[in-house]
Amino acid sequence: MKVGLKVWRYDSVSGERALREYEIDAPEEATLLDCLDIVKDRHDGSLAYRKSCRMMICGSCGMRMDGAAVLACKTRMYDIAQEGRVPVISAMGNLPIVKDLVVDMDPFWSKFKAMWPWLEPGYERPDDGREYRISQERMNVVHKEALCINCGCCVSECNAMESDPEFLGPQALAKGMRFVGDPRDSATVERLERYNQEHGIWDCTRCYFCNERCPKGVDPRDAIAKLGAESIRLGIDRDMGAKHAKWFVRSAETTGWLREEELIPKTQGYVSAIKQLKFGASLARHGKVRPVPIPHTARDVGEARNLRKVVRGQDRQGALGHVQGERALARLAHGNAGESLEEIYARPGAAPRPFLPGEGQGSLTQADVTPGKEPTRKRGEA
Amino acid sequence: MSTTEPVATKRVAYYKGCLASLSAKELDSSTKALAPLVGMELVELESVTCCGAGDIHEAEPDYYLHLNARILAYAEATGCDMLLTVCNVCTLNLRQANFMLQGDSELLARVNENLTTVGVPAYSGNVDVRHLLWEIAEGEGYEKLKEIAHRGLKGLKVAPFYGCQILRPSKIMGFEDPDRPWSLERIIEACGGEAIDYPAKIKCCGFPIIAAREETALGEVIQPVEQAIEAGADVMVTPCPLCHLSLDAWQQKLEASTGRTFKMPILHLAQLVGVAAGLEEAELKFKRHIVDPRPALERLEV
Repeated sequence: MKVGLKVWRYDSVSGERALREYEIDAPEEATLLDCLDIVKDRHDGSLAYRKSCRMMICGSCGMRMDGAAVLACKTRMYDIAQEGRVPVISAMGNLPIVKDLVVDMDPFWSKFKAMWPWLEPGYERPDDGREYRISQERMNVVHKEALCINCGCCVSECNAMESDPEFLGPQALAKGMRFVGDPRDSATVERLERYNQEHGIWDCTRCYFCNERCPKGVDPRDAIAKLGAESIRLGIDRDMGAKHAKWFVRSAETTGWLREEELIPKTQGYVSAIKQLKFGASLARHGKVRPVPIPHTARDVGEARNLRKVVRGQDRQGALGHVQGERALARLAHGNAGESLEEIYARPGAAPRPFLPGEGQGSLTQADVTPGKEPTRKRGEA
Repeated sequence: MSTTEPVATKRVAYYKGCLASLSAKELDSSTKALAPLVGMELVELESVTCCGAGDIHEAEPDYYLHLNARILAYAEATGCDMLLTVCNVCTLNLRQANFMLQGDSELLARVNENLTTVGVPAYSGNVDVRHLLWEIAEGEGYEKLKEIAHRGLKGLKVAPFYGCQILRPSKIMGFEDPDRPWSLERIIEACGGEAIDYPAKIKCCGFPIIAAREETALGEVIQPVEQAIEAGADVMVTPCPLCHLSLDAWQQKLEASTGRTFKMPILHLAQLVGVAAGLEEAELKFKRHIVDPRPALERLEV
């Protein structure tokens, strides 16, 4: 098939920037990475990009296609080529460009290191001297966070980081949760104190670009919410962001509706809030806030109050409250286009569908290709 | 022109959320005025609370789930199969909780036991949470919109601002391509306006952190405002009252920090359609805006 690509070329030495267009012949199953390889091998050897495993596990080939961060090796080009669309390929955002599609990952790694991305073992060796074992249930808390391959696609699109480049960001914080949630780690409080600092978890603006872009299903925003829940569970709530979040809980159980007018003083403290009086007055002139906040109370708010008492006694506090919903949310197809798996595999150019039990395709089984073993049966045969 | 044939009306449970109850009352009144015109009878929920706005989700996620289950249960108790929202953040919080409950029968059973303990009806999982935007961007709602928008926006240049939580996470929202949305543009054009395109229309307004990290949030707010002005917009429209508050009320802080003048009027979605449908100030309540949209809308007067 013919594939057209427009690639933003950049030379950091000369500062030159140019959009170059390529048209190539590629096999129907080609990914974006395959196409870039063809460009480099046959058309323009000067094109620079990163790659290694070609199978979505090394995290090297993060880049943008039409402004959205993707793993090049995960992105099939068939549909785009059929539509006759010529996508624009560029380097990831929020990181300095070294050349063409290659970004400087140093800021990314320094934030990664700031999370203490190692286990601080705090468990005692079991009496029998054998290995320390953890149940699957306890590891489920971090099973999504553990999928991260450090590709940077989430960081590329982080709206808060565009505004505050010091923000630790979705990748680093998801990594942090991977250790906070690990039952073998003993540094939970120290970690949370660190992640609660100025450019930490409460910088997240909940734009959800990270969840949208992550090619591995880590859902970094959800990991940040887990860190918030763990912080508040453990009383690490000095940050204005934590106070802001707690005020919503307080509002829900007292009046039902958010007590909006008290939100700024409850978040920033009454002393800082005084500086906002002029701003508040401008809102009051238009009826946005009232000079004297009289909470309007939802009917049957006692139910909401009692509900909190009930659930707080049920051992699902902190991150566990998030984890309990993950199984159901994982069932939602990403993009939710409503296609069944059968339809997805039936698309031209799709990856070959794995054989299902009972489907006699006559292909070789592992036994057939293991030296010294007699061929046993064909795949799909009973 | 439309026929005199009476339009079929759909009963929907209406969840207005915190902002439309207080600081954005104009959203509530314009939604209530618009709903019958686009074929909806709103059944207002009385016993509901805040959805938690993502904050209770972050602080006490188990309480978040129960609070939202309680809202869904009261919506279901009205006999409606749809819960209509007018806020991005409410939409995400309620849809997310709904999927958690619908997709996990054990979790639903546990939550229901807690709900009934405190006197709330159990939720059986049969409510669909939908934003007003989706109801009037396609299907019957869209057909009715085309009929009522006869007053028209007369080529008014409107910059659509989606905000985040009506688009992402797309697996929870599932209405349109989160990178190439079309619903607001379609509505603007059906109302006779011109939809302006600009990159920041799908980005964040900064509102969730505007109290705790104002500087970072302002760095986000400025992008859509600046780009919409550059693209020649007369007004902006948003489906979210939080985006509205951020863009409208915090614009004066942008002006103070940059020394520039923006004066970009921001309309709620129901107000924009309401203008095209000929609703009056009594319902639209533009006087409640910090940046008054009326001068920009004056040339629509005939």
